[in-house]
Formats: sequence, structure tokens, C-alpha cells
Amino acid sequence: MVPGLSVYGERRVTVTENGVKQEYRTWNPFRSKLAAAILGGVDQIHIKPKSKVLYLGAASGTTVSHVSDIIGPDGLVYAVEFSHRAGRDLVNVAKKRTNIIPVLEDARHPLKYRMLIGMVDVIFADVAQPDQSRIVALNAHTFLRNGGHFLISIKANCIDSTASAEAVFASEVRKLQQENLKPQEQLTLEPYERDHAVVVGVYRPLPKSSSK
Amino acid sequence: MEGKINKQLKKVLKKIVKEAHEPLAVADAKLGGVIKEKLNLSCIHSPVVNELMRGIRSQMDGLIPGVEPREMSAMCLGLAHSLSRYRLKFSADKVDTMIVQAISLLDDLDKELNNYIMRCREWYGWHFPELGKIISDNLTYCKCLQKVGDRKNYASATLSELLPEEVEAEVKAAAEISMGTEVSEEDICNILHLCTQVIEISEYRTQLYEYLQNRMMAIAPNVTVMVGELVGARLIAHAGSLLNLAKHAASTVQILGAEKALFRALKSRRDTPKYGLIYHASLVGQTSPKHKGKISRMLAAKTVLAIRYDAFGEDSSSAMGVENRAKLEARLRTLEDRGIRKISGTGKALAKTEKYEHKSEVKTYDPSGDSTLPTYSKKRKIEQVDKEEEVTEKKAKKAKIKVKVEEEEEEEEVLVEEETSTKKKKKKDKKKHIKEEPLSEEEPCTSTAIPSPEKKKKKKKKKDSED
Repeated sequence: MVPGLSVYGERRVTVTENGVKQEYRTWNPFRSKLAAAILGGVDQIHIKPKSKVLYLGAASGTTVSHVSDIIGPDGLVYAVEFSHRAGRDLVNVAKKRTNIIPVLEDARHPLKYRMLIGMVDVIFADVAQPDQSRIVALNAHTFLRNGGHFLISIKANCIDSTASAEAVFASEVRKLQQENLKPQEQLTLEPYERDHAVVVGVYRPLPKSSSK
Repeated sequence: MEGKINKQLKKVLKKIVKEAHEPLAVADAKLGGVIKEKLNLSCIHSPVVNELMRGIRSQMDGLIPGVEPREMSAMCLGLAHSLSRYRLKFSADKVDTMIVQAISLLDDLDKELNNYIMRCREWYGWHFPELGKIISDNLTYCKCLQKVGDRKNYASATLSELLPEEVEAEVKAAAEISMGTEVSEEDICNILHLCTQVIEISEYRTQLYEYLQNRMMAIAPNVTVMVGELVGARLIAHAGSLLNLAKHAASTVQILGAEKALFRALKSRRDTPKYGLIYHASLVGQTSPKHKGKISRMLAAKTVLAIRYDAFGEDSSSAMGVENRAKLEARLRTLEDRGIRKISGTGKALAKTEKYEHKSEVKTYDPSGDSTLPTYSKKRKIEQVDKEEEVTEKKAKKAKIKVKVEEEEEEEEVLVEEETSTKKKKKKDKKKHIKEEPLSEEEPCTSTAIPSPEKKKKKKKKKDSED
């Protein structure tokens, strides 16, 4: 979205399409869980142009910048990050891209930043905390619209390092189901990450209309 | 935001809600509690409230008329940024680039100022050379020059604010009898321009120094307390930024600035330097040269702690720096007094003093250094024969040695063991003639078969000469 600038030192490619010069930035799947998920073959990431995304665990804003590119200038991504050091970099990225709104608060307390965020279409969570599911659930109850979707990146080691990865994923999915977050897909992020999985689901699915 | 009631919120609540007499739905339980306490309004906080909130949020754009979505998003953005800034405690005070630039500028200014002053002195020296010798301070020189200008005006001008009376009198006297050339109005004009520049730059330099001190106190108060503003600023400038400096080890900070000496010593396996930029810190400056190395090491260790505290710490107080400096000063005093208590290890153990033992050294006189002639053992070997011949060749040249030999021979007659035939050969004095004969009798006993006929021959010659 901001041509000529590299956010985290990634390579940029300029391509001329129909006489218009377009700049593309390479997206590194080893650094970004979202990219790994896409390359892993997830069906739907639900992040489209003009969508509103709540990104929990934004860190320095590397993946957030890619999301910002996808949603375009009409969309909005609310990037939540608690660490100050990473937050500084995030604010710098947000300065250049007006569709990123930096929120330097703890994602565990969505009420603390309730005045900054409207309703969102998608929640992407990459927080790597043991109480991940609870965090996502809280945020979903406060900000995610009915029929909205969520993508959660689960790190098995983080939740429980003693149990096996599959067991951890299963327990997380169960916790999500209890909170009315219905999972639709799950896939592991091999070969980019070890013992990681991404769960895609829907929140409070709208009742299916009989027609069509 | 954090469970407290803002003044505005209070106002709004009082105005609107009190009239409505309805319970207030609150999303934040804490806030609800506080509102209830302060304003006696009943608040509801339940899942129902959450649902309501969701509904409101979804329809926010519609519910608040007159606010365009664009404005809303702009407001959100602005609010988010300012909140983030507040979170980060982002203050322009904390930027350390200012320090790096300021110290570089200070150095540049000093160099330029020096150049200009030298030029000014030289230039004006053509017109009034004596002034340069009388007034050594550069700033006074320029100010003086600026006031007076041409030499003729000195008699009338009053320089009492700038100079003490005797100097002023000296200057005026020198002006009368100066041997400089005359200069025109234009020339004086130009020199005056240069002078004004010099004065301006010096004033700016003092300003800049004050600015630097302020910045240092704001950005790195602990470092300033430990090593002083200038040294601290130079350290930061050398490393590039305060964060970079914080990543260095204490030993690195100790020799920061002496890289050339360090690597030269490392390459040639010699002793590495003990201090770099830290040498100019006041603590190191006030110690005796013997202890400078120790103090530099201790200071570097504590300074690194101060640097890291300033770089990563949340608050900006200099309490830690003051404490550490006091510790260091105490240690310095102990070191200087050559305290009997050890610094490292258990502080309670007394330093061991060695028992005083009187080592009596009795030296005896070593006579081997008396003679410059080579001495031979009693048992002669064949190799010694050649030496004897060489000695006899030399005998003619060295008269003094002969005298010595005579004296020695007198002594040696007492010490019969060490007699050598060579000394006997050197004898030319007739007085010794008598002695020769008894000694010659000894010869056949001590000498080997080969040299004996030679000696006998020589003796015969001597005897012949004497005869």
C-alpha cells in the first residue's frame, strides 16, 4: 500500500500490469503465521479488501503490514500489542499506513480499549499465551460481529509443553466451542513451524436462509 | 479509562442520567462500582449489557447522526495514536540523537573557533602585534579589538570592563609605540567582521554546552552523575545511541575510544590499554597514576549499570547513579589511603603483612676482578702455551702492565701456587733477575716438555742481554 518502503527488510518486486506499475512485497512464511497458513492450503482466511480486522498479538507489525495491504485503504486493522519495544515499531508502521490503528494494551482486557474499536469482521490471534482461548473469546464477545470469523494460531508448547501437540489442539478447539466460536478448519503449519496449528472458524453463525 | 471517573463523564452523568432516573448500563464493572459510589446511580452490569453494547457498537454509525464514517475513523486513528504515544511515554526529551549531534557540533565548533582566532590574531598582528602578547585570552582579545579597531583609538577608548587597570595601561602604552603597519578603514572593517563572528561563535558554544548538559540530564541522568556530561555524551556518540551503548560489556566501555591502541597491543601480544574515553572522567582524573587503572575498571563496571538503567528503565531518576558514585568514592578513598583492608574477597580479612626479617648480606672481596690478565690454573694444559706466546708479544707495548706484573709478582711470591711462566717472561727488570733463577727451577716441574726448551732459550737470551 505504501510503495517504495520495506517494512521489515523484505524484498519488493515491481510488476507492470496493464500499463500500471504495481509493487509487491514478498511475504515470508517462516516469519508470518498467516503466510504459512495460506501456503499450507487453508480454504478461507476471510480477510478481504474493505474488511475490518482485529489483530491480536501484532508484535512489530510485520504481518500486520501485509494484512493492511490486503484490506486496502477502505478496510481497517486494529493492531493490539502489549510489549512497548515492539509497540514502538508498530506505531512507526502505523504512521505510514493509515488503515492500521495501533493499540498498545493487554489483549486480556478488551474493555480497556473498547473506545477505540468498532465492530470487526475478522479476528486474527497470534498471541502465544496459555489462556489464548479465553482472550479470543473475550475479544470476540466484545468486538466480533455475528457471523464474523476468527483465525487462531495455536502453539502447542505454549499451552502445555508436556502434552502432545494433537491433544493440545483438540483441547483448545473444545474450549473455543464452549464459547460459541465454531471451528470450521484446522491445519498444521508444517514445514514452516513445528507443533503449530491454525484454527479457522465462525462466531455466532447467522441462521442459514432457506432460499438459494 | 482505568476505572476512574473523568470530570466530563461526571458532568454528563449528572446532567442526563439523573433526570432519566433509570439504571445505567455499564460495560466495565469497576467503573460501574465507582459511579455507584460517587454519584449514587444504580448501575447494571450483566451479559445483557454486553449484548446491548454489541448492538450499539454495530449500529454506531447509524445511532450517532451527523458524524461521517470518515471522521469517525480519523478520530479513532488519532485517538489510538495519542493513546499509544502515552503508553510508550514517548517524549521528544528521550531522543538521544540530539546528544550525538550536539557533541559532534561542539567539537567542530572548537576546531573552527581555534582557526578563526588564530587567523584574527595574525591578521591584526600586522597592525598591532604587541596586543597579542599582552592579552593571552582569546575572547578578551577579540572584544578589545572590536571596541577599539584602529591603533590610534586606543588612547581615547576605555577598556576598563574588559581588562584590569595595569593591563589597560600597558595596552595603551604599547599602542603609542607599536611597530605595526598602518591599515585602511576597509581592512579594519573586515578584521572587525571576523571578530564579531568569533565572539558570536564563542557565545553559541557556551549555549550549546548548556543545552548538552540539559539533554544529558534528561536522557541519561545516572550516566551524567557517574562520569559527567561530556564523557557520557562522548560515550553515547561513540557507540551511536544509548541503546547500542547499553549492549556493550563493561570491559568494552572501559576501553571505548582506545581501539587503535587496543588492537595494536593485541596483535603484537603486548599489554592492552587500561582506559579509553573514561580516562577523562573526574573520578579517574583525581586518582594517582598508580590507581588509575583500577579505578577505571571499577568505574566502567558501575557506569555500565547506570547506562542500562537509563536505556531500559522506566523512571528517570538519578538515585541509582548517586548511590553508585558514593560507593566508588568510598572505595577510592580506601585505595588512596592504602587501606589495610582488602577490597575484594572477604572485607573483614586484614591484608597480610610480611614478617620483617633482617637479611644480612655479607659480601666478601672477590679478587678475580683485579687483574685484567687471564689467570691460569695450577695444572697447565697444552692450549695454554699459545696464550703464553701471545702474551709475550704484547709485553713490549704495555709498559704499565709490566709494572703491575712486577707488583703482582711480589704479591704472588707469597701465593706461590698461582705463579705462571708468562709473567716471568715479561720480566725485564734486572732486579728480578735473581728471582728468576729460583723460579726457573720451578719451571721444569710445572711446564710441559714442549714449551720448556723455548723458555729456556728465552731465558738464555735474557741472561745474555743482562750479561
